[in-house]
Amino acid sequence: MKGVTTYIYRDFIRWIRYRVGVVSALVLPAAWLLFVGCALPVTFTGNYLDFITPGILVMTILTAGIASGSLLMFDKILGYLNKFLAMPVPRESILVGKILFISIRGLLQATIILVIAVLIGATLMTPLQYGLVYLILFLFGVFISSFSTTVALYLEEHDSFAAFSAMVTMPLFFTSSALMPYDAMPGWLSAIAHVNPLSFAIDAIRDVGAGSIPAVPILLLLIVTAVVVVCAGYVFRKVTI
Amino acid sequence: MTSILADNLTKKFGDLYAVDSLNLAVEKEIFGLLGPNGSGKTTTVLMLTTLLAQTTGTASICGHDTRREPDLVRECISYVPQEMAVDPNLTGRENLLIFARLYGIPNPKDKVDELLGIMELTDRAHDLAKTYSGGMRRRLELAEALVHEPEVIFLDEPTLGLDVGARQNIWQHIHALNKKGMTIFMTTHYMDEADKYCDRVGIISHGKVVALGSPAELKARLMNTVITVTLEGNYSPVQLDGLVFVGQSGNAYAFTAENGSEALPLLADALGRAGNRVKAMSLREPSLDDVFLQSVGKQEEPRGFEEMKFRMMLHRRH
Ligand SMILES: Nc1ncnc2c1ncn2[C@@H]1O[C@H](COP(=O)(O)OP(=O)(O)OP(=O)(O)O)[C@@H](O)[C@H]1O
Ligand SMILES: [Mg+2]
Repeated sequence: MKGVTTYIYRDFIRWIRYRVGVVSALVLPAAWLLFVGCALPVTFTGNYLDFITPGILVMTILTAGIASGSLLMFDKILGYLNKFLAMPVPRESILVGKILFISIRGLLQATIILVIAVLIGATLMTPLQYGLVYLILFLFGVFISSFSTTVALYLEEHDSFAAFSAMVTMPLFFTSSALMPYDAMPGWLSAIAHVNPLSFAIDAIRDVGAGSIPAVPILLLLIVTAVVVVCAGYVFRKVTI
Repeated sequence: MTSILADNLTKKFGDLYAVDSLNLAVEKEIFGLLGPNGSGKTTTVLMLTTLLAQTTGTASICGHDTRREPDLVRECISYVPQEMAVDPNLTGRENLLIFARLYGIPNPKDKVDELLGIMELTDRAHDLAKTYSGGMRRRLELAEALVHEPEVIFLDEPTLGLDVGARQNIWQHIHALNKKGMTIFMTTHYMDEADKYCDRVGIISHGKVVALGSPAELKARLMNTVITVTLEGNYSPVQLDGLVFVGQSGNAYAFTAENGSEALPLLADALGRAGNRVKAMSLREPSLDDVFLQSVGKQEEPRGFEEMKFRMMLHRRH
């Protein structure tokens, strides 16, 4: 536990030390929301802002989660990771530290999006609904960041990781249900969107917004995330360079 | 107890034996692993610090097997890698504090201030590590390695790229640590340093240990005196009783003899008769350089250009 908090402490000071990093993390998602939510002249549904917000939220968490691997890659190239791996601190705490830092930072970004969404006309939800949204986003964040951190552990170059992240982020986003409802999609897209993990989180958040409690999706997300985290933890414990 | 024990430790990368059947027993001493580029020094250190799995053989640190009980091994070692690895975007103090917390030191802040003092970094403690000079970064790394008072400390080329003063400074620290009862395992390219500070050295070439012993023993094996001859043009070999050709570096050729001052005129004659153009000759006590030259010979790196190595070189430049 000591290890986890120390790793988070380190990533946190590294993050807030550079204003560009803070600004880009906090302003970018807001800009996305304003641009896509207000400027795009589309009307698939009644309140497009209510429709698009879950997509932007999940997209933000996806980008944040992928950045987790990028942080690890940096330590690896610096030679810093080797030092950590040669320490008696349980090696999983490196992973858990990254996951928590990234997920907390992601939820901070999500908060900004939620506030702005309401300010520009999205429907205000109940505290329970917000709680569920945060839960879904948190699980999804843990899922993505443990995955990307483990990928980074095995990749040699920062360039390969950048390629991996580009290969994952944009295609996932555009083939998900983020931007339009399934029935507005062409058949092939709808088929892909239905199996896209991003849609899964987005749809769950939309269900919350519509007033239901998506117990089954949340449970599934919990199980999948737990499996990925346990596997990643095992990999970290055993890894040699 | 033996601090470091390696038994037929071998690491293969594809067909290349980076480390080949290494046998080693290191006690509470300063042990230096010497070898040319690509001879397997870093690979050895990585295996001993549990970071790399060996292909065959075993290794144990303080009685704990590196593969079966890696956690126990990590408890009693510190490792300072070849490339400088401090977080450039944190201050020196923050860097150190993170290590103290990770090792679970009771009063991390006090310990950190104490170590900053020992390593003479107190007045720069609040500057970002990226503003540090190479020597300061090395001292910071050494401080990081010392927060938990390890039994064995692994230093991969701790003095690489430092000026004479900084090297001496690092060595004084290393010496003091050994006096306090720590085992030091280090690699270096600098023969004079190894000669002066190491209790024992091992010379490694193509992954194999080719000489092992105290610097004095190794030099004694080379007989009493070294005659260095500087030639103009090519060397045509000569044979003389009691004279041994050691090796060549540039156009300087080294020989050893039981009694150098008697052998010198004989050698001069013989060289002249064989058609060599002698520019200069000198007599001196053997140094570890001569031992190195003789056991390693003139050799190429095992492979030509390697991307991995190139990147490591880039790191070193910082
Ligand atoms: N990950 C790797 N994959 C393939 N070959 C490797 C790898 N790491 C090291 N080698 C090779 O193993 C050999 C030994 O390398 P090592 O880094 O141990 O040498 P070294 O003695 O530390 O050299 P230097 O003095 O340049 O640091 C070299 O030929 C190197 O190219
Ligand atoms: Mg090396």
